[in-house]
Amino acid sequence: MASVPATSPRGGVPWAAAVRRATRRVAASPLARVVGRRTLQTVPVLLGVSFITFCLLTLLPGTAANALLPENATAQQVHALEHQLGLDKPFVVQYLDWLRDVIHGDFGASLGSQQPVSDILGQRLPVSIELIVLAFALSLAFAVPVALLGARRPGGIVDRLNVVAGMVGLSMPMFVLGLVLVLVFAVDLRVLPAQGFVPLGESLWRNLQHMVLPSATIAFPLFCHYTRVLRADIVDQMNSGEYVVTARSKGVGPWRILTRHAFRNAIFPTLTLVGLNLGTMIGATVIVEQIFGLPGIGQALVTGIDTQDIEVVIAIVLILSLTVVVANLLTDILIALLDPRIRHGRSHG
Amino acid sequence: MADQIAIVQAPPAASRGVGRSWSSRLRALELWIPGVVLVAIILACVVWPWLGTLPDPVNGHLDQPYRPLGTAGHVLGTDTLGNDNLSKLVYGGRLSLEVGFGAVAIGMVLGSLLGMIGAYKGGWVDSIVSRVLDMFLAFPALVLAMIIANYLGPSALNVTLAISLYSLPAFARLARTSTQRLREQPFIVAAKLAGTRDWRIIVRHVVPNIVPELLTFALLSVSTAIIIEASLSYLGLGVPPPAPTWGGMISMGQQNIYSFKALLLLPCGALFLTVLALNLLGDALRSRWSSV
Amino acid sequence: MNVDTIVDAPATDRPAAAALLEVTDLTVRFRLGGRVVRAVSGVSYALEEGQTVAIVGESGSGKTVSARAIMGLLPPTAEVGGSVRFRGEELVGLSERGWRRHRGPDLAMVFQDPARSLNPTMRVGAQVTEAVRTHADLSRSAARERALELLALVRLPSVRERYDQYPHELSGGMRQRVMIAIALASDPNVLIADEATTALDVTTQAQIMGLLKDLQQELRMALVMITHDMALAARYSDEILVMYAGKVVEYAPTSAFFVGGGRMPYTRALLEAVPDMSRPAHSLFPVVPGRPPDLTSLPTGCSFSPRCPCAQDDCREVIPELVEHEAQHGWACLHPLAPTGGPGV
Repeated sequence: MASVPATSPRGGVPWAAAVRRATRRVAASPLARVVGRRTLQTVPVLLGVSFITFCLLTLLPGTAANALLPENATAQQVHALEHQLGLDKPFVVQYLDWLRDVIHGDFGASLGSQQPVSDILGQRLPVSIELIVLAFALSLAFAVPVALLGARRPGGIVDRLNVVAGMVGLSMPMFVLGLVLVLVFAVDLRVLPAQGFVPLGESLWRNLQHMVLPSATIAFPLFCHYTRVLRADIVDQMNSGEYVVTARSKGVGPWRILTRHAFRNAIFPTLTLVGLNLGTMIGATVIVEQIFGLPGIGQALVTGIDTQDIEVVIAIVLILSLTVVVANLLTDILIALLDPRIRHGRSHG
Repeated sequence: MADQIAIVQAPPAASRGVGRSWSSRLRALELWIPGVVLVAIILACVVWPWLGTLPDPVNGHLDQPYRPLGTAGHVLGTDTLGNDNLSKLVYGGRLSLEVGFGAVAIGMVLGSLLGMIGAYKGGWVDSIVSRVLDMFLAFPALVLAMIIANYLGPSALNVTLAISLYSLPAFARLARTSTQRLREQPFIVAAKLAGTRDWRIIVRHVVPNIVPELLTFALLSVSTAIIIEASLSYLGLGVPPPAPTWGGMISMGQQNIYSFKALLLLPCGALFLTVLALNLLGDALRSRWSSV
Repeated sequence: MNVDTIVDAPATDRPAAAALLEVTDLTVRFRLGGRVVRAVSGVSYALEEGQTVAIVGESGSGKTVSARAIMGLLPPTAEVGGSVRFRGEELVGLSERGWRRHRGPDLAMVFQDPARSLNPTMRVGAQVTEAVRTHADLSRSAARERALELLALVRLPSVRERYDQYPHELSGGMRQRVMIAIALASDPNVLIADEATTALDVTTQAQIMGLLKDLQQELRMALVMITHDMALAARYSDEILVMYAGKVVEYAPTSAFFVGGGRMPYTRALLEAVPDMSRPAHSLFPVVPGRPPDLTSLPTGCSFSPRCPCAQDDCREVIPELVEHEAQHGWACLHPLAPTGGPGV
């Protein structure tokens, strides 16, 4: 709107002025600006990611023709099929064709089972999403109270144990942790199933039984990481926040200062981390689903790579990388929503 | 008054005075314990196979499977195929270290070169470099490594290359920020004004200043690279059998989890110890660098 | 230093009961890496209801530390000695829990920088309500009403609207009004204003000081004013203590300073540093020449001697005692200046 020349007739149509005013108000709201700018920045990244994915996968050795035709197919047959699939077109045209289909939700069909890839995704995505949501809920549910307890007495026993446990936890590769959990809870104690999956719709209780170990496996390193960061930020706020002195001068108790004042100001770096990890942990589902035999997209990816089922692999890689990008975008927006200073157009500081 | 309060709220001074010798001794231990453990692991994995005292990690005696720990000739027992567990651990460890250090070395050299050039040149070179890196960072590391390793075909070299591609963007980013900070420094500006060639400034002035930071980060990256290597082998997408790998051993251990726990716990323990030593050492070095 | 003489003067008809607030020989030390910083040494004064004491000094003179010590707000690294009595009850050495009983209903504080002293992520109203509910068992809605009352009391414009705003949405003056409302939440007997107007522009400064004085009258509070501004102290206080390098170097009823001028050269320099109205706005403030002292290595002798225009050899060897040389007027100086003839300001 700012580019409207000064000479242009204003308010010619009654509603035009109103629309212009409304647009300007929304555009002037700092929150809308943050969201808008970040969303725009995301678009080229999304396109780039899809292009890289496409490049990587069309270059894979198992081409569609190899997979579809018998081994003794003649060069002519291969050629005909490639023509039919559009593989003889220029590379960029192939990419644009593919992109057009993807935008319409058409990911093609599995080369192995001939099942539409969108169906496969529809079956498997909910499993992976449940896994990740549970893992993050678990990690934060434990990290927040532990960080607060540690920050209550920096250098105290809880705090020191925290630091040691944190280092151990961060060094525990996820599949080592997962297998140790299986060994303890499924093999030795026999309280939880070692493998398998029960859909949420079938039985909530049995679904959760099967999900506890996998989500705990993902949650533990996150928990260690968040506790560490959050504790450090809370201690920092307690030491340097002038508003903490104000709260003390009111006679507010130390625990309340910690939870209501310092914690609220210390949460933002951790939230940023959650957004970043949301992406990296998606890679982790591949391993965890394999260990626990969960039918999520990670498992489908491993199978797809094994059987050179390009259509499935390409769709999953695209979904995974898009999730990373979108997760980062959503985190930024969430922080803008939660932090009144950004919400009203001031930066930290 | 404000400045005085700032003094007052500096961290407790207990680290000096009486407590000084204690805390500095503790800090020395933080560095030395993981350092010694790491050197021990590296020596064991690299030197032991040369000594020729270990049994062959492959082609074991099929008639001697599932030997328990402490068996004569097989201190750590044998696996389902009768191969010596200790020997497999050592050879698998050598592979993990080779891949881990190799991948990070490649990623570090190429990545920091890209980052330095981008930051040093600035302008459109920098924009393109950082946009492309952003896109690579959007791919989950493991997924990227899986696909590339699969595309290149399974071998130790290809797994190394695949993992190096994962570590490259992070190094590029680190080198870029450090170089940007340096670029405005008087000695670089002076060198430029004196007509020194760009590559010479990079080699003589930029590289020496960012190497400590890069090496510390590299140590932490090696642990991630080792985990990715093990993950790939566990999924059957890494260095193919019969070559012994920790990930492969863990996979075999999982299949025998009800009957022979040592088969699972031995490689898990080795992997954990190595990664922990690398992380602790990297952490200690980092805090040492940042406090100097 | 004879404390009673200072105290008794304005309230002679009072029985010899304990003063409202009595600070005796207050010392604060910090240990920093083996060095000892004596931030405050031997500060004494007393306050009665409705009285105002101003503590004046440059940055680093120990005035803020001494004020925070009175409320127990120093970090645990501080070693506080001497005595602070509220209505005869000793406060130094109390546990955090013990202190909390006094913070709010007995002693309250307004801080220097309202932009940093309010919690940036909490609505203004909630911060006032929190103060209200800390010491009174009120329902949510009753606390809200009380908070609105307080905000109206400090003359915050359009109170109901401001109640739900965040600190950064308010101007500096409005923020300081909110801080004052928070301090008044539990009807304190003593209000400590620590450079409460320093961060504000001149007009707002006058408004806030006027507000504080009005509220003091209305609520019968005692006021401790911490400031570096002698003119401000002169206008609003009954009693002035001048601090330098953690020590009181001169004290007197406010009128005495402006009739005879300070006797200690440092006080005189501060008085001369008072800006006069003819100066253009925002021009550089004339300050006492020389650098404020380094508290970790004070000179032998009088700590002001390195900067003192009248220092003689004995000043660099002997530490001058704070002695009450005239009625209610004490100074710590070996070579005091002669009283000036007329009013200083």
